[in-house]
Amino acid sequence: MSEKHQTWGWMLAVDFFFAGMGGAMLIVAAIIDLFIGKNQISVLANIVGPLCMSVGCGFLILELGRPLQAWRVFMNPKAILTFGAWMMTFAIISGFVYASFGIDFGLFFWRDWGFLRQLLALVNLVTGLVVATYPGVLLGRHKGRPFWVGPAIMGLFLLSSLVTALALHLLCAMIAPVEGSVLNNLPKLLAALLLAQGLLWAGYLWIKASGTTAAEAASAQRWISGDLSKRFKISFMLLGTLLPLVMFLIPVSLFQGLATLLVLFGGVTMRMMTVTSGNDRTFLPGELQYRSRLPHGHERFLKKNWI
Amino acid sequence: MARYAMVMDTRHCIGCHSCTIACKIRNELPTYMIYNPVTTDGPHGTFPHLNMLFLPLLCMHCDNSPCVDACPTGASVQTENGIVHVVDKKCVGCLSCIMACPYGARYHNHETGAVNKCNFCLDRVEEGMRPHCVETCHQKARIFGDLDDPNSEVSKLISENRSFQLLQELNTDPCVFYIY
Repeated sequence: MSEKHQTWGWMLAVDFFFAGMGGAMLIVAAIIDLFIGKNQISVLANIVGPLCMSVGCGFLILELGRPLQAWRVFMNPKAILTFGAWMMTFAIISGFVYASFGIDFGLFFWRDWGFLRQLLALVNLVTGLVVATYPGVLLGRHKGRPFWVGPAIMGLFLLSSLVTALALHLLCAMIAPVEGSVLNNLPKLLAALLLAQGLLWAGYLWIKASGTTAAEAASAQRWISGDLSKRFKISFMLLGTLLPLVMFLIPVSLFQGLATLLVLFGGVTMRMMTVTSGNDRTFLPGELQYRSRLPHGHERFLKKNWI
Repeated sequence: MARYAMVMDTRHCIGCHSCTIACKIRNELPTYMIYNPVTTDGPHGTFPHLNMLFLPLLCMHCDNSPCVDACPTGASVQTENGIVHVVDKKCVGCLSCIMACPYGARYHNHETGAVNKCNFCLDRVEEGMRPHCVETCHQKARIFGDLDDPNSEVSKLISENRSFQLLQELNTDPCVFYIY
């Protein structure tokens, strides 16, 4: 039997990546604005944050079976997806209005309203935190998906969102530098967060593989020694975490620029793998064997005209 | 108000798949959609102490249904009599319910873009009839009825026999009971 489109696909992983990164970019910008000082972040970075979330929204809509009816996802306040959709909408609007404060354009008459700017920074902080965290919350609540279930995935997603957001802030600062910005100290912070990311993922897999149910252990084994192990070890751990960690510690702009791209590659790879791992459900007795015997849809007997 | 439930008498089920076929024909399901597969659990043990049972699966119409909670559009609903079903015109095919269901009872219809599932043949039940799979089962291994009525056949079977529910540890409170 074909499993095509019976589970979430790569577009949702890309949505998680862009939405999480965009949300965390708002968090970083808001914290700097509220607690360190304004004019530390370029207009480019302030625009890229909500833009990333908008791109994420686009992928989310394309993932739907009926994309033209996407507005319906706002309708059930009890569903976490609805909550996430509303928060993402608020974050995008608030993020773009906040970014407008840095654009010298006559129609933006509110540019001198400092109170509004700070209020929007606060809104960005809250909504950005929710947007960056909620994919992890969404996945962690799935009782029947052994790789996701539990609160730890929430922390891993938030951490990854922060790491990718800081990397993109650094990249934006390289393209559009802001003199005396606190962002100039980012590489060391990023290296520390990447170290934490590597350690936490290793711990997560070790706990899943050794201290939980058989289904959770089997799902973790796919990452440790199964079909996802090469992608995990080479693409995520080596190229997406360890290599940029080292490169960030070398004070050469070229290395640090390349490192930011590697971090983004690691972030999207991790989300792809995590979403793929959700295809593994806690199967019922005999179910796996039953489904393995079903036709895939391309068999000759299915295509033959029997009449 | 009734609380509909189904009892699977695994002592009577012979794994003939009549229910699977009846359901597919009645609901005109494509190849990849099977609302009620019948799996084989076992054989377990060593000769001569062997046991094996056929396990008819379907939507568990859980009291605490994760699919209804997960649906962002309100398309997945539970009626007052406990039947969980999808209001097709409201479904956007986000697959949240498919991912939330621990029983794999929901399917994405590639042609319509919506999600479909077993609804205990809601239209038949509303007219006082039994679901088609129950009607078809010649071994009377599927029993349908009102769980809230202590005199119903399902209530008596559950109280008088050893029974279990699937994935009970997930607190979904399924309304399909297996007696053995």
